Amino acid sequence: MKIEDLETHQKNTWCPGCTNNGLLLAVKKAIVHLDQTSQLHWKNVVAVSGIGCGAKIYDYLRVNGFYTLHGRVLPTCLGIKTGNPNLTVLGFAGDGGSYAEGVAHLVHAARYNADLTMIVSNNQVFALTTGQATPTTEEGFIDHSLPLGVKEPPLNPLALVLASGGTFVARGSALDPEHLQKLIEEAIQHPGFSFIDVLQPCLSFHQDIEFQRQHIYKLELKKKDDFSQAWEKAQEWDYNQKEKAKIPIGIFYQDRQLTWEEKWPQLNLPWYQKERPIEWTKVVEDWKWRKTKK
Amino acid sequence: MRKTILVGGQAGQGVSKTSSLISQVFNNLGYYVFVYRDYPSLIQGGHNFNVLTVSDEPVYSHRRSLEAIIALDDLTIEKHVAALEPAGFILGSAERASHPRLIAIDMDSVSLPPSVGRENNILVGALLKLWGLPLEAGFQAAEEEFSEPEKIQEALDEGRQLVSLREKLPRLRNRKETYFLSGTEGVSQGAIAAGLDVYFAYPMTPATGVLHNLARQQQKYGFLVSQLENEIAVVNAALGASFTGAKTMVGTSGGGFALMSEALSLAGISELPLVVYLAQRTAPASGVPTYSSQGDLKFAVNVGHGEFPRVVVAPGDAEEAFRRTVEAFYFSQKYHLLSIILSDKHLAESHFSFDRIRAPRVKVERFFLEEADPDYKSYQLTPDGVSPRMVPGEGSLVRATSYEHNEEGYTIEEEEGTKKMNDKRWAKSPLLQKEIDRLQPVQTYGQGKKLIVGWGSTKGAILDSLADLPDYRFLQISYLSPFPSQQVMAELKKAKEVVLVENNVTGLLGQIIREQTGVAIDKKILKYDARPFTPEDIIQKVKEDF
Repeated sequence: MKIEDLETHQKNTWCPGCTNNGLLLAVKKAIVHLDQTSQLHWKNVVAVSGIGCGAKIYDYLRVNGFYTLHGRVLPTCLGIKTGNPNLTVLGFAGDGGSYAEGVAHLVHAARYNADLTMIVSNNQVFALTTGQATPTTEEGFIDHSLPLGVKEPPLNPLALVLASGGTFVARGSALDPEHLQKLIEEAIQHPGFSFIDVLQPCLSFHQDIEFQRQHIYKLELKKKDDFSQAWEKAQEWDYNQKEKAKIPIGIFYQDRQLTWEEKWPQLNLPWYQKERPIEWTKVVEDWKWRKTKK
Repeated sequence: MRKTILVGGQAGQGVSKTSSLISQVFNNLGYYVFVYRDYPSLIQGGHNFNVLTVSDEPVYSHRRSLEAIIALDDLTIEKHVAALEPAGFILGSAERASHPRLIAIDMDSVSLPPSVGRENNILVGALLKLWGLPLEAGFQAAEEEFSEPEKIQEALDEGRQLVSLREKLPRLRNRKETYFLSGTEGVSQGAIAAGLDVYFAYPMTPATGVLHNLARQQQKYGFLVSQLENEIAVVNAALGASFTGAKTMVGTSGGGFALMSEALSLAGISELPLVVYLAQRTAPASGVPTYSSQGDLKFAVNVGHGEFPRVVVAPGDAEEAFRRTVEAFYFSQKYHLLSIILSDKHLAESHFSFDRIRAPRVKVERFFLEEADPDYKSYQLTPDGVSPRMVPGEGSLVRATSYEHNEEGYTIEEEEGTKKMNDKRWAKSPLLQKEIDRLQPVQTYGQGKKLIVGWGSTKGAILDSLADLPDYRFLQISYLSPFPSQQVMAELKKAKEVVLVENNVTGLLGQIIREQTGVAIDKKILKYDARPFTPEDIIQKVKEDF
């Protein structure tokens, strides 16, 4: 396959220069590379997308796709893996959908550990609704809904996923598509729930490209299954824009645990491939009079 | 011959188990049995009771007036003695508060050591004797209902020796085949018969029964039952699984259904098959959680923002629940849409006897292509609005979306495409209607010239009231969406007088009938005290008011 196979005819409606393009390129390259090295088959990839600017990736990526509701990417992904464990499922949502509207699902997705990859386009703002604060927006940020500024400290999504039992926790940057591509490839190959918080400044409503360029550094951990170390590294940046901030990107934590599909013996095949002939008369047999139940 | 027995006590005293034992005795003797359960929302204490109506003729409801009360506590006597027929009796331990109608059993005179349910089983033994029922029927029932039947059998035998015959009930000729099941069991088994692959749910009374019943059988039949973090996750996961071709169903009650409603709209636009089991309870909000109501009819018929066709089917008893559940799967799979099975606490948790279970009249297939097509379009326009269905993973690219879309499933916002897709989705409607018309969406019972109209769980009480209301026949409406307007209209026109019977405050079916046929029904019997109808309620109201 070629990267062109992944292109659609849809007109790209992201703002000119939008950092989502960096993510889209990284995703496409990761799929092509993994397909070419037989790690996956591109026609078995399903892109599940929420609602928001980043979620428009559904229209720009020619694979199987499910453009679901705001905040509901993870349960949809879980359902897809439950329906057909052989599919490669990639979830796409923003910080609004993942950390506000659908945050409960994030906690539980980490617990379930289904073999899927969740890529969060974190621009620290609701962009498609014209610039309101999300749970990861820095303190003091002023917008039309909060003219007095954000009062709460930002949520740390990496710490949240770690605390919830996530088995692959990473942060990437759309400003570095090559590094991001590698992260995505590792995430897809990790058996279990893989979570990547992708920092991608919004040119229209959360312009912090310079801040991120200055403070981001690459994390190169030798031992990835060290939870204490991951926890410490996750705390290194609190999502505020402080002068001395250090923002690590890379894999914080990776650990092999049983996946959702491995835990349930019924999930050995796509359901439509199973032969389960059922006779209706047998199904009601237990309720027949004088049928001894015990 | 008909007898109504009430078994009452605190939660934890084994009311349900004792009721099952008695039911089984009568089943074994060839009687028809109907069991109503009444319990508050608590785990221990309170006041639980079951009402069993047993008869030598088919019976589909419980009566208000009682021939026997089995009192496991004093409160049972206090609360229910007013409903006791003149010849009726209370059966209880000698420790119960004295009452002139109490047949007091001296539990201390029984040499059996203390055990769980000892008192209950002694009372059942006494009941057998009072009505001249053979002990063997009790022994057999104990074997069928309990894993260690010996202790129960001993207690039954002891109880039998403590009273003397009061009235000999007839021994019935055994019926050839008998089924005894609840609405919950009808729905669960229907889902299994339809080839259910995955059931997602979050517990909520009175839908939880289906969750438990299916979970227990998942290994036997090889399907999956999955309880997720909330109803929103449940319904979205179900749509994800449906996207891959799995036959999926979710179950909930009103509150959970409300949480699901956004995703039900998604089912509408994405045209993914989904079956929803909605077991109504008394609302608004948390309402009266362990009691019954038909208050969600219009919610089900209209659920989800925007307009999209859906199927809403409301079975009237456990046997219908089996067949109608299979039909709900059939329509969702064949027409790629949302099917709602509308039940309620009364139907879900009551037990019914049937001579037979009728075969489902439809066959649920997967209805999709399995050969790869490079030009496959998930939303291909077709004359009947049904696009050929494909699943991901077979070489074709498959798309589902919450946005308005073109045939390939990519997002559009333009006028013509938007209109076309709306027309496509609604093009299914006439076909759907045609198929539903063949599945007895309405049914009449009885010969009277006047008509009682109802739907869902009121069927039993209405049917059982007809014997006392010879001027009336009963029109049961089982499909609420698409609404069988012509058939309903024809029945309304034929009737000399029409009375609406519903378990809700404002007569929701009446509103739908008016919307769909233009006919307003003025005579209404509405019950909204969180309790189901008994035949007496209907007979009395009809005779007094109309």
